[in-house]
Amino acid sequence: MTVQRRILRGTAFLLMAVFAVMCLYPLVWLILGSFKSNQELYTNTWGLPESLGLVNYINAISKADIVHSYISSVVITVAAVFITVFLGAMVSYGISRLHFKLCKPVNTLFAMGMSIPAYAAIVPMFSMFNRMHLLDSWISVIIAHTVFAFPITIYILTGFFSTIPKELEEAFTVDGCTIWKGYYKIILPIAKPSIATVSVINFITIWNDLLFPQIFLTSMNKMPLPVILTQFADLDSTDYAGMLAAVVMTVIPTIVVYLILHDKVMEGMTAGAVKG
Amino acid sequence: MNKVLSNKKTVAIFILPSLILFAVFVLIPIIYNVYISLFQTDLMGTKNFVGLRNYMNLFNDKFFLKALKNNAMLVVGSLIAHLPLALVFGNFIFTKIRGSKFFQSAFFLPSVICGAGVGIMFKMIYNSEFGLVNALLDLLHMPQFKHSWLNEEQTVMFAMILVVMWKFVGYHMVIQLAAMRSIPGELYESARIDGATMWQQFTKITLPLIKHVIRIDVVLIITGSLKYFDLIWSMTKGGPNHASEVMATYMYYQGFRTLKFGYASAIGVVLLILCTAVIWLVNRLIRVEKMEY
Repeated sequence: MTVQRRILRGTAFLLMAVFAVMCLYPLVWLILGSFKSNQELYTNTWGLPESLGLVNYINAISKADIVHSYISSVVITVAAVFITVFLGAMVSYGISRLHFKLCKPVNTLFAMGMSIPAYAAIVPMFSMFNRMHLLDSWISVIIAHTVFAFPITIYILTGFFSTIPKELEEAFTVDGCTIWKGYYKIILPIAKPSIATVSVINFITIWNDLLFPQIFLTSMNKMPLPVILTQFADLDSTDYAGMLAAVVMTVIPTIVVYLILHDKVMEGMTAGAVKG
Repeated sequence: MNKVLSNKKTVAIFILPSLILFAVFVLIPIIYNVYISLFQTDLMGTKNFVGLRNYMNLFNDKFFLKALKNNAMLVVGSLIAHLPLALVFGNFIFTKIRGSKFFQSAFFLPSVICGAGVGIMFKMIYNSEFGLVNALLDLLHMPQFKHSWLNEEQTVMFAMILVVMWKFVGYHMVIQLAAMRSIPGELYESARIDGATMWQQFTKITLPLIKHVIRIDVVLIITGSLKYFDLIWSMTKGGPNHASEVMATYMYYQGFRTLKFGYASAIGVVLLILCTAVIWLVNRLIRVEKMEY
């Protein structure tokens, strides 16, 4: 390697290292801060916390009722991810493998959904849920998440299903196996990796969402974590350390999932752009 | 075999549940939204037809114009920040710099974190008394640059753009990196044999061959910048004095706080038109020839 190239590589490495610190340090500060006392936050900006006590976590849990919002977050996310993937896989299989006249238009309709901002539908959705008496119920939030998660889910899954060799279906129809049995026993199992990808990215999007629950829910004890975070300041505007602890509890699940499955997450979240 | 796959009942059971849900809760609302935008309504009792007056009022509403301007600032800021950084970092990782796997995962990490959580975290980081930003300025002996970043009308949008950068540069980098990795390696091998420099390889091979993904990415950056809500709502709620208002926060405020749903619907329509126009415009402006390789 020439000297010039070595200098170039060195500079590049340095730049990357600086940016990596900028990406990670705020999170380190957040986690360390969540163990500091409010007093310590002011006096000890850069150092480690004096103790690893869980006072802030206990405060956050009792003050902001984090337990209830954890349950809300889990129920909403699990239900919405399950319904999205269950129905999304079926419609994707239908679009890519079954024969019917409107196959292309149906696919285009869902694909268009990827570029539609939720804001263009949210007032009518609110009005509809109101008339269906679904406001302030998890069902409205779950429906909203499901329908807006369909486009990317169907995009990724149709991409996968269309790579399955036709012979496979021929084999199971010849064997007298019904299409249902074939779908559940043969097709879905080989689609497992793609199903995992869409489940993970939908989990991340839905867990993180603030808009739908904030609009469709009113009772505090039904709100998922992101909404509670934004309202924490109104509950107690001086307990900054408690707020940091609440943020940590909210962001930990997606970070853990990302640490375990980072390749899948990156692939899934960028699939819409890369394959398009 | 074909008979099984085109059985009407089978098709209906596979397709209809999702299609009906999607139509009822996405497609119909979009049309219904245009209709609501022609009324002055609180969705409960009162409902007066006002024609296009909501739209005319929008463009005389100085807070909406402010929001529009802020969205434009975010679009420009994000384009200037994300595109070059994503390209440069993406290329560094693509050329297999030391630690590239770690860098890729670290840069992408912020994009999986809850927007509201990021917002609250940065609200603390920008805090004028114990925040990291001011502490850093103290450390560098530059206390004259200290601000109450999110509470001052002059600094709030600048602070916002930095947060947006923090959250999304890695995301766009991974998109472009994936495109770079789909380029066949032989192209670079033969270029190296011919004595091409790194810079030449980047401008003559990488850039032209990932142009189609850059185009999609530009669309994502612009439409994304038009739709920010979580970050801004959790940091400033659009304040101080509407200084960081964007279309999404203003729509939320008008609709769900002051119950002017017709007005909010009109903002939703404007957003939809803008997003569609961006897709159309970018696809016209950045021409991509089909490349064979």
